[in-house]
Amino acid sequence: MADLYATATGLIERSAAAYASGVPEDAADDGFFGPASVAWKVSADLASPVAGLRALLIQALHPLAMAGIDQHSGWRQDPAGRLAATSAYLATITFSERTVAAAAAARVRRIHDHVRGVDAVTGRPYAAGDPALLLWVHVALVQSSLAAGQAFGTPLSADDSERYIAEMMVAAELVGVPRPLIPAGVAELDRYVASVRPELRCTPAARESMAYLLDPPGLDQEIAGFWQDVRDGAIAVLPEWAREMYGYSAPQPPPLESGRRTEIRQSLGVLDALFLSEPGVLEARQRITVRMRATRSA
Amino acid sequence: MKTRRLAAAAMAGGAAAAVTLILLRRRPGRLRYHRGLAALRLFVRGGIRYAGSAPRMFAAAGERRQLLREDLALQTAEDVADTLGAMKGVMMKIGQMASYVDGGLSPAVRHTLARLQDSVPPMSPQLAAAVVEEELGAPPERAFARWDPRPIAAASIGQVHRAVTLDGRAVAVKVQYPGIAETIAADLRNVTLLRRMLKITAPAQDVDALLTELRDRIGEELDYRREAASQRLLAAYYSGHPTIHIPAIVSELSTRRLVTSELSGGARFAELSTWPQHERDLAAETIYRFVFRSLYEVGAFNGDPHPGNYLFHPGGRVTFLDFGLVKHFTAAELQPLLQMARTVCVEHDPEAFRRSLEDAGFLRRGAPLSTSAITEHLAVFYDTIREPGPLTITSDYASSVVRRFFDLRSPVAGYISVPRPYVILQRINLGLFAVLGELSATADWRAIAEEIWPFVQGPPSTPMGEAEAAWRAQHQAIAA
Repeated sequence: MADLYATATGLIERSAAAYASGVPEDAADDGFFGPASVAWKVSADLASPVAGLRALLIQALHPLAMAGIDQHSGWRQDPAGRLAATSAYLATITFSERTVAAAAAARVRRIHDHVRGVDAVTGRPYAAGDPALLLWVHVALVQSSLAAGQAFGTPLSADDSERYIAEMMVAAELVGVPRPLIPAGVAELDRYVASVRPELRCTPAARESMAYLLDPPGLDQEIAGFWQDVRDGAIAVLPEWAREMYGYSAPQPPPLESGRRTEIRQSLGVLDALFLSEPGVLEARQRITVRMRATRSA
Repeated sequence: MKTRRLAAAAMAGGAAAAVTLILLRRRPGRLRYHRGLAALRLFVRGGIRYAGSAPRMFAAAGERRQLLREDLALQTAEDVADTLGAMKGVMMKIGQMASYVDGGLSPAVRHTLARLQDSVPPMSPQLAAAVVEEELGAPPERAFARWDPRPIAAASIGQVHRAVTLDGRAVAVKVQYPGIAETIAADLRNVTLLRRMLKITAPAQDVDALLTELRDRIGEELDYRREAASQRLLAAYYSGHPTIHIPAIVSELSTRRLVTSELSGGARFAELSTWPQHERDLAAETIYRFVFRSLYEVGAFNGDPHPGNYLFHPGGRVTFLDFGLVKHFTAAELQPLLQMARTVCVEHDPEAFRRSLEDAGFLRRGAPLSTSAITEHLAVFYDTIREPGPLTITSDYASSVVRRFFDLRSPVAGYISVPRPYVILQRINLGLFAVLGELSATADWRAIAEEIWPFVQGPPSTPMGEAEAAWRAQHQAIAA
């Protein structure tokens, strides 16, 4: 099966380059979020790799979203490149000035226009530009950031969680989801997820792609041990129903015991240090911190 | 390469502060007023030099360096935890220690550790002041006559501030990051992850021996009272020594998270390199005497003999700084080392040398190797002291020692391991000789070693040896 995929080697390097280039050196404006936002704080959280992996696991359970990825994105040829492109997009949306962020979103919408087809499992037609699918992808990311941060990073206060969800609405709008459809708070988010659950399925494509992600061949040997901790972390913060659909065994008992939680956090720290040592990442973080500090003291 | 960069960063700076100190010393009984005045001068002038030449200044990447330093300063204990928690502080310490024991850090690992260090900004003046207040019960402006809120140097888990004590002494105060001891202690408990990182960092090592030693040494370093105790011990031992100077600890201002010592000036390593060879030889002789006298007579070895930890004065006088990584040896632990030196250098008895290696645990007993192969492999470590006569230690020699140490292809290598008590002593080979090699130092090292070896106790072999003998006579008279 490993032959199906190009090597995932270089994931950190490429994500880092994407991240560094997404944080502008001299921004004309504060973009769609700004240095006082919760979103900026969340983007620097130690738990981001867990959040990202959890988001992918949740997104893949929507058969039409999965079919679109499976049949079009070509991620098997270059999985690291695909993930790096997503990181780059998220960094741009979060930190770039408005015109740049909007242009990046427009590019994504144009690509989505060509992603159409019929899902082999359900027999239903799909289009990547369908607001319903875009919304699922959006909510999975927002919810995963909250869950991963809560478990392994710096947990947000209840107020900040609400603010974060509200701030992130603009990200969904940018890719073409009408604002009234987008959950604006924790309760709405939960109701929305519950409403979509009947449509979710663990299709063969989802199972196979996620098995690959959880244990990517070709990962640098030094990174592999750390990835295992990221994977355990992501599975631990999945909702029970998602774990059951994949058939993953839950950590016993489900709230991770604190020793294991600490270990995962420590691995995330090492990964973060590796990320930090990639060209431009430290500088990008310093640019962000300086702007956040300036806002705080102003 | 990193050592070089550290060394380069540690350079520049002059002897004005040293002169002030020497003047101070010559008039021990003067009024406090004068002493205070001189301390202030040192604070203002010498201190700035010290600041400019501190071993590692906080790095900020890119332009706007100074501005960034202030903007990014750690403002709360949570900032400290975000920056150095989750293994990052431990990684930095591992890097520091592994570079002492393993010349083979890969460029990638070296780079990661350097960037990690760059990512740690200083504490904000308020945060540092809060630590001082918690430790001393008074804010720095009241605990000291003068307090410079800007740090002059980064220490691995803290930073150094200049100050003047209430009784007028110019001092350097090392302030530990709040919460760091607890964070690192927790991270050190994750043995699986530490082992995984060590395998990446120091592949040439016996990971388990290194791991245990590392946890012990880092654990010790978290309590500055240990560092103060080591420094006090050595300062007392070398009190009045003609060329070895250990800054005095100010005990009443030293606690678990603060270590306060006499502020010292002097020339940095790079400046010494521009001095005449004669001066460099003298400085090297002092360093050599310090390392081996401390080891054999005090049972103490400073595991951090890098160029940034020395300040040089004319005539071979050297000030030794930073005793955070001192290892103390028992007599029983020292015995095998002496035995090895004695059998190979004095008795020229290869079989006895082999037995002493086996007794100490360096060589597996009954290894299917000829004794001459073993001697040949390990002799390089004794090359400078096997024969009498002047000898120049070159950088080439220092590198050949390192290469030999990590020569895993040699048939002998498979049977050699470094028992845990001696892990840190590898720094003699990898640190001391590198420093002496950079100085191209010439001396009759064998004759100096004979002075120091307790089983020889040879006569003074140099003018410095004469002065040291006189000091010892006086010292022992006082002790008795």
